[in-house]
Amino acid sequence: MTLLRLISFQYVRKHKLRWLLTLAGIVLGVAVFVGMHTANQSVLRAFHQTIDRIAGTTQLQVSAGEAGFPEEALETVQNSPDIRVAVPVIEASVNPGRGNLLLLGVDMTGDRSLRDYDLENNNDDAIDDPLVFLAQPDSLLVTRIFANAYGLKIGDKLPMATMAGPRDFVVRGIMQSGGLASAFGGNLAVMDIYAAQKLLGRGRRFDRIDIAVREGVRVEDAQANLQKLLGTGYLVESPGARGQQFESTAQIYSLVSSITSMFALFVGMFLIYNTFEIAVSQRRSEIGILRALGATRSQIRTLFLGESVVAGLVGSVLGIAFGLLLARGIAAYVGTMLSEVYGVAQNVEDVAAEPWLLAAALFVGTLTSVLAALIPARDASRVDPVKALQKGKLQLIGQGENMRRRIGAIVLFALALGCMSMSYIRPLFYLGYLLAIMAAVLFAPTACNWVTRTLRPLMKWLRPVEGALAADSLIESPRRTSGTVTALMLSLALVIALGGVARSSYKSIQDWLVIALSPDLFVTTNESLTSRSFVFPPEIGDGIATIPGIDLVQMVRTVRINVRNTPVMLVCTDIASVARKIHLPPREGDPDTMYQEAAKGKGVIVSDNFALLRKYKLGDIIELPAPDGPLRMPILGIVIDYSDQQGSILLDRELYIKHWKDTTVNVFRVYLQNPTFEPSVRAKIQEMYGGRTRLFVFTNQDLRAYILKLTDQWFGLTYVQIAVAVLVAILGIVNTLTVSISDRKRELGVLQAVGGLRNQIRGTIWMEALAIGFTGLVLGLVVGAIQLYYTLEISRTDVAGLRLDYQYPINIAAVLLPVILGAAWISALGPAESAVRGSLVEALEYE
Amino acid sequence: MIQLEKVSKRFEGKRVVTALDSVDLSITKGEMVSLVGASGSGKSTMLNLIGGLDTPSSGQITIDGERLSGLADDDLTRVRRDKIGFIFQFFNLLPTLTCVENVSLPLHLRGWSRKKAEARSRELLDLVKLGHRMEHQPDELSGGERQRVAIARALSINPPILLGDEPTGNLDSTTGAEILSLIHDVHRTMGSTILIVTHDRGVAESCQRTIRLKDGKIIGDERRSTAA
Repeated sequence: MTLLRLISFQYVRKHKLRWLLTLAGIVLGVAVFVGMHTANQSVLRAFHQTIDRIAGTTQLQVSAGEAGFPEEALETVQNSPDIRVAVPVIEASVNPGRGNLLLLGVDMTGDRSLRDYDLENNNDDAIDDPLVFLAQPDSLLVTRIFANAYGLKIGDKLPMATMAGPRDFVVRGIMQSGGLASAFGGNLAVMDIYAAQKLLGRGRRFDRIDIAVREGVRVEDAQANLQKLLGTGYLVESPGARGQQFESTAQIYSLVSSITSMFALFVGMFLIYNTFEIAVSQRRSEIGILRALGATRSQIRTLFLGESVVAGLVGSVLGIAFGLLLARGIAAYVGTMLSEVYGVAQNVEDVAAEPWLLAAALFVGTLTSVLAALIPARDASRVDPVKALQKGKLQLIGQGENMRRRIGAIVLFALALGCMSMSYIRPLFYLGYLLAIMAAVLFAPTACNWVTRTLRPLMKWLRPVEGALAADSLIESPRRTSGTVTALMLSLALVIALGGVARSSYKSIQDWLVIALSPDLFVTTNESLTSRSFVFPPEIGDGIATIPGIDLVQMVRTVRINVRNTPVMLVCTDIASVARKIHLPPREGDPDTMYQEAAKGKGVIVSDNFALLRKYKLGDIIELPAPDGPLRMPILGIVIDYSDQQGSILLDRELYIKHWKDTTVNVFRVYLQNPTFEPSVRAKIQEMYGGRTRLFVFTNQDLRAYILKLTDQWFGLTYVQIAVAVLVAILGIVNTLTVSISDRKRELGVLQAVGGLRNQIRGTIWMEALAIGFTGLVLGLVVGAIQLYYTLEISRTDVAGLRLDYQYPINIAAVLLPVILGAAWISALGPAESAVRGSLVEALEYE
Repeated sequence: MIQLEKVSKRFEGKRVVTALDSVDLSITKGEMVSLVGASGSGKSTMLNLIGGLDTPSSGQITIDGERLSGLADDDLTRVRRDKIGFIFQFFNLLPTLTCVENVSLPLHLRGWSRKKAEARSRELLDLVKLGHRMEHQPDELSGGERQRVAIARALSINPPILLGDEPTGNLDSTTGAEILSLIHDVHRTMGSTILIVTHDRGVAESCQRTIRLKDGKIIGDERRSTAA
């Protein structure tokens, strides 16, 4: 402790900038770790809060997947002797033009025993007599938050486009803040359930039944009895269990977040390692004096590890603060994405980290710092006091150590190749991935040296003095450079991997769009094509089919169902007509017979990603949870289809109607006799139905653009990672150059003494920075090729089930060249100025 | 050739230290002068000021007709690179460059072509009898050889003034004598104006003129009819 105060504290005071850079390495890693996990937790918490607040005192909920179930089920539930109250509910996220609103359709006659509406000014009269509320189907209760946000008061009208055409709803009560009114961030409206059915076009169906059991009946018993009574097509569960589906949906984000934050910490570790290695090199004489004065090796080691603990703690605290700021942005992004893609209702109002996460961040940040300092601390303890006190050039990585690293890298790489050949055993696959990255890390100093040696003639040719000196500075001091280059290499490798997956996906999705998206027009209930809150009655499709110029109208109903505890998309349409128009590339099965058989209701066709992720093979029997009992169907074919990230199952519409008793439609896919009819048919559809129902008509091009926009959003992470890589480059290069200038003080002084102008001195520093950036880039592009292989494999087998072609993202690599070289040059500006502004006399006397 | 008028140099810190105190000095073209004095007497400070490595707190320095005060950093550098060659006690060669590259350094900085700079460097290395060490790096050379390279580098631009800061201070007596002899040869053949800071009496007495400094003031100026 005394040594820490006497020696380390003084060193930190003298080298504030360098220590800030060390902290930056930890801050970066911890901030990404805290930011991503806090955002995920906040989104999940927001969803759970919405469920809890809406649930009120509900003990059990009955549901049958997204398609809901016929009203008759309510009677069955209400007749159960275990049940005290059973009320139907419709829950949907709608957008009345003022942001997302969670609409709750309830039956006021029984609902108030489960939920407290807590209306303002004792205005409970509005719902005291449910018949009055029911008699006015335009009644709406809104929350104080929503009313304030949109300047609504009792009696005001709220217009909405409904499936029965545009309607004005009247605010008949305002719920006080708190409790139910705080669900979905307060963006909640309650209406009568039958009015909700009309508004959303749900026919005579409910989404779920909320239940309170009789006194004296155990909830578990009631659950079991009810499940038996309703059959396996229904799901009887506690409100809390509903969150599981969302958690499963959010799982992909968790995996990506974990990989990204772990990578950020790993990269941060190299920045810290670099700083400590440099500190040991710079403080050799100080260490020599301490050793000469009697300090033991273990005291020296403890001194450096102590510094790393302090740096880790301070950096982690700062990282947590930055991470919490970062989380707000990420939570909004993830929340929007989940709402857009899955239509899952949640509203992140409160971004806060769990105490355990903060403790974990503090621990992980400090541990990273200590791990990064282990080797430098060991090196410090091995400093020979006699040699350290002699004047001379800085210690270089010993040839022996370099050789050991190289051999280690080769061994690890060979083991990684071995693991790759057995990648069907997943733990071995992941071990191979780790070994390959470790091999790259071990080989990085050698590769860095090779690249700079190769660069030297070019740099010398460009600028004989500045170029040669810059290259020599890198070649002669590998310790100063290798940490930065390794950090940059890892960071850029991740950019390449994410960019590669994005490129391959983009290509695959584009190819798929050409095949799958053949209809000329798409008629939907929502501007957001993924929202399934509103549905059409099938009659509209029959009406559209009568418009002259139309060749075919396909009615498509998409609902999310749970298969093997994972939400997948059930796509129900007339398979015979699909076979006539679309030929999705088959992965397994006979392309002709699979459609014929599926059209006869003899089985289903599943997407390749579904089969891969859920481990289904051709001919396997799949169990679909239909409300009238599980529907067991053989898999007749496996095709390439990217309609849903979790996978899709194609079922004939007739079979769906038979078992789900649901005739509604999400999308009408319209084929024209001639593409030139498009404007007139579109106008005619609008004319026929525009004023009568909620309806949107998209052209083929509109839909392609929409899907590609969604795909772009998914890969927004690539750009975030590029930003992180730039930050790593700047932090690392500033750190390296700061020390390089200090090490080369005399050399730069000599250069000035013999006639070097300021711009020539700046030039050598800039060239050194550019060489570091270029070397990191070259290694990053190479390791990125390996990282891309593993990322594609993870994406294929464990995340998305997408069989993507290996396509190196040359475009991203081309973008990275100017970006990283630009970042390197910017990093060099400050150090270069400090190099030309120092005292020349001092520089020449420097030892 | 070198003119100092009322030149002072003060170092401002917690207390002000006066390294040179209103010094007047004139050195004519072709003179070989030694600058002696105890440590802290101001001799290195004077050499740095004349070499344009540092700027005076007050007074005027004129080098070959050019006044240094008020010059911007890059202009000062231009004076240095056109008119002055330095020989340092610790040689100050760049360790990663070969002898030829080290000698070429000032020429490259002046924008000489690669071929011309190399030819000139080889010529100078031959002159200092290091023709067999052209492609060697400094750490492969003896102390005397390193100083020869440093002298060749200082001569590369054919400067009218050569400044030496203890050029033999880091060498044994035999090697020191060889280097001194080389400097005298240069003086004789090229007619350069040479100013050498030294602690070595022998070196000082070998010069035509010896200036003695104490506490930042000139306390003696001895001229000899012939140099050793």
